[in-house]
Amino acid sequence: MEVAILFAMVIGLMLIGVPIAISLGFSSTIFLLVLSDTSLASIAQSFFQAMAGHYTLLAIPFFILASSFMSTGGVARRIIRFSIALVGHFPGGLAIAGVFACMLFAALSGSSPATVVAIGSIVIAGMRQVGYSKDFAAGVIANAGTLGILIPPSIVMVVYASATDVSVGRMFLAGVIPGLLAGTMLMVTIYVIAKFRNLPKGEWKGWREVFEAGSEAGWGLFLIVIILGGIYGGIFTPTEAAAVAAVYAFLIASFVYRDMGPLAGKNGAPNLALWQKPIALVTAFVHRDTKDTLFEAGKLTITLMFIIANALILKHVLTDEQIPQSIAGMMLDAGFGPVMFLVIVNVILLIGGQFMEPSGLIVIVAPLVFPIAIELGIDPIHLGIIMVVNMEIGMITPPVGLNLFVTSGVAGMPMMRVVRAALPFLGVLFVFLIMVTYIPWLSTFLPTTFMGPEIIVR
Amino acid sequence: MSSHYEPKSAFGRFIHELEETVIAIILGAMVIVTFVNVVLRYGFNTGFIWGLEVVTFLFAWLVLFGVSYAVKTTAHLGVDAITNLVSPAARRALALLAAAICLAYAFLLLKGAWDYWANFANLPQTTGRWFPTGLEEMKRTSYRGWYEVVDIPFPEWLRWIQPIMNEGEDYEKLPRFIPYFILPFGCALLLFRFVQVTLRIWKGEAESLIVSHEAEDAVEDVAHMNREG
Amino acid sequence: ACEGDEIVIKFSHVTNSDKHPKGIAASLLMERVNAEMNGKACMEVFPNSTLYNDDQVLEAMLQGDVQLAAPSLSKFEQFTKQFRIFDLPFMFRNIEAVDAFQNSETGQAMKESMVRRGLLGLEFWHNGMKQMSANKPLISPSDAAGLKFRVQPSDVIKAQMEAIGVSPQPMAFSEVYGALQTGVVDGQENTWSNIYGQKFFEVQDGITETNHGIIDYMVVTSVDWWESLPEDVSSQLRTILNEVTVERNAAVGQVDADARQAVLDAGATIRELTPEQRQEWVDAMKPVWEQFKDDVGQENIDAAQAINASM
Ligand code: NA
Ligand code: NA
Repeated sequence: MEVAILFAMVIGLMLIGVPIAISLGFSSTIFLLVLSDTSLASIAQSFFQAMAGHYTLLAIPFFILASSFMSTGGVARRIIRFSIALVGHFPGGLAIAGVFACMLFAALSGSSPATVVAIGSIVIAGMRQVGYSKDFAAGVIANAGTLGILIPPSIVMVVYASATDVSVGRMFLAGVIPGLLAGTMLMVTIYVIAKFRNLPKGEWKGWREVFEAGSEAGWGLFLIVIILGGIYGGIFTPTEAAAVAAVYAFLIASFVYRDMGPLAGKNGAPNLALWQKPIALVTAFVHRDTKDTLFEAGKLTITLMFIIANALILKHVLTDEQIPQSIAGMMLDAGFGPVMFLVIVNVILLIGGQFMEPSGLIVIVAPLVFPIAIELGIDPIHLGIIMVVNMEIGMITPPVGLNLFVTSGVAGMPMMRVVRAALPFLGVLFVFLIMVTYIPWLSTFLPTTFMGPEIIVR
Repeated sequence: MSSHYEPKSAFGRFIHELEETVIAIILGAMVIVTFVNVVLRYGFNTGFIWGLEVVTFLFAWLVLFGVSYAVKTTAHLGVDAITNLVSPAARRALALLAAAICLAYAFLLLKGAWDYWANFANLPQTTGRWFPTGLEEMKRTSYRGWYEVVDIPFPEWLRWIQPIMNEGEDYEKLPRFIPYFILPFGCALLLFRFVQVTLRIWKGEAESLIVSHEAEDAVEDVAHMNREG
Repeated sequence: ACEGDEIVIKFSHVTNSDKHPKGIAASLLMERVNAEMNGKACMEVFPNSTLYNDDQVLEAMLQGDVQLAAPSLSKFEQFTKQFRIFDLPFMFRNIEAVDAFQNSETGQAMKESMVRRGLLGLEFWHNGMKQMSANKPLISPSDAAGLKFRVQPSDVIKAQMEAIGVSPQPMAFSEVYGALQTGVVDGQENTWSNIYGQKFFEVQDGITETNHGIIDYMVVTSVDWWESLPEDVSSQLRTILNEVTVERNAAVGQVDADARQAVLDAGATIRELTPEQRQEWVDAMKPVWEQFKDDVGQENIDAAQAINASM
């Protein structure tokens, strides 16, 4: 009962325009003060420890930073050229290339909105020029952008791993097959629509263009090898991988692509080569572009972590009042099996996803459902992937759908029109969600093959 | 590009630039320390054992220092579906109500932050469960200036604080009151920024406390490419 | 759950509640307190770090937000450097020697040694003796030289590792399995219960039975809270806690042996050392004692060695 009031209060505050983070934190604080003997000092401690005590969450600022360097530094542009060269000649080619580019960028970036901004800002304009409707273009990109959190690396997976103490490396591996599958399903759907509606296709420019574009994009795409190779090759932990990715992205952007930093050509002038301005080796680190990118990534980290830290205060309330145990007891007493349980999890997350930012929602829901899942013999990694796919759907459904907001901004169209545009492809994601939910193999095959079966310590 | 916030005075511009620079420097330092430790471990089989702890504290500094900046520039995420539907007068009333809640939140958090930090700095906590009703009488256990962090060594140039904070005993590691200081400091800034934004809403200079989406700024630069021409 | 005027005792710890020696003991304590002190007091256990981790829990205890905890003994080095004796390599011959030391006058005095810092030790809980493992066979200390080991944050353990040429690496516990598997770190040291519970043996070449150190816990409470309890409550709580301690500490040898056997049954290699081989490890690590002699107190080291000799 109390917990229902708590959640009603959170949602009520959000709806009158209180920031999400403060809706969570304020409601939780009031509850702790009224219901328990917890002190305000303990709430401040929780808040501080959200950052200082969760080593895995450290990956968040680093992945955001890597993503910022890649967007600013021209990686996205080169990935798109490569995608068009490779698949642009199919019916619906540019749209398929857009999805393919989103998949590639998703493999570099941990965030979905970042993927939409990086790819969408270029591809949507390109699609319109060759005769696609704006709605079709926006719908494709809003959906494909959600792959940002499913294809590793993924900030949402990092948060899940932190909330449940499963291994981040395992979660990343688990996202590979579902990510490829979801991307393929979207591309096939576009292909079918394109055949049916006779959508424009590009021309095949030959293997030469593929290789040229590929080798240009290769510098950026090599980051995939660095991240996954580094983690599974035993060079660094997933958190450190994110920091290495950020450093690599900075070096590529400043010294190889030179679209930002001291070597970037001003006002359309060609970019300088390093030998023309060797001092750049020093100045790049303190260049205005570098500072701005660091600052932008820092700001995004701050707003995201403010939500997560306050969600952790809410989690403190739930733990303190032993809510997870009572919910688990209720569900197990009701005799739910794994199938019914997963339906319920999906429904909770789909509803929650309407209101909440994904990372915050995972922080709150994971501790509630995790113990039950373990009890029912559901693989924690499988559960994690189900949650991520739900979060993807939440991102393209109103009222809080980060990808919708971003797409409407990027495409310059009203949000409700984006919602309608995204709808047909949302259907694809729903089918995909059902597949992921009831075919555990999709999520567990790679991690089990490469890392052995999941150990359940609890 | 960073925000819609335009500082009005020279002093305001200075502070604004300072805040953005601090945020950039903290994040940059986090990346560098982590990266250097990877290189040292993989390449040289060594490393700074304190690296991880330093980075987690910097992470806390980044967020706690930055939340107030995000309030100032209206960068916090929220839901505007309802507030966009109602009349301007009702919208203003809701915004003021929301602002009052933010003020209450920041106030409670600041009290908690002070209470948490104070004993680590040998200072008295406030009494009272919700509101500070006074200062506690210091007990034997209220002096926690001796409490050190886990891995970060104590810097030699700070030895002069030992007689003040640790009864003259030597610190081996950094005392906790130093990294924890950001908590009351950041919360005080947060409260200050909420007071400012509340006044702005009151005077009609601002409409709400939230952006409707996080990527608004980044998006603006590219949106023109897609608008109907 | 707790009723209106019962005294609430929150016990926060970091392990599971039914397989780990500490978790089992905490669960048993909760059962008995809730059955026998019903109406007077009630206990809630928060396992798996759901409320606090080992470092935060002591801060929360001083603040009055949690009443009982059982962190590993290394955590108390920050409060009193004496506790470093429990991390010194080869200080205790076996868990019986640890038990005898803790129950000696010196050991009992250590429970009171943090009162000036606001904590009161109530009981010692055992886990077991530490073993070593790596991604290659470890027979002599030179086998470990040049490797990277994940260690608990403790200056003593860091020095112990450096003494045999190992590079100590701090790491979040949840990432250790993956790090051992991929080779981010090469090895680790732990008790049989932890090696089995975390399945570390799956991703290591084998376990070398060094018995070179111990992992133990101390049940602590805050002085302020303890002194605020009515006399009958604190004495009954103390009695129950002591009975649980005696019962579970006696059983811990069996838990340890079972875990060792389970590791063996799972197909892992366990390498036993001959007395000569073991002496090599002792010779390599023992110089660390000198480094921490002043923190620990020579008289305490002597007391521990006297107990070893009598075993
Ligand atoms: Na990704
Ligand atoms: Na949504």
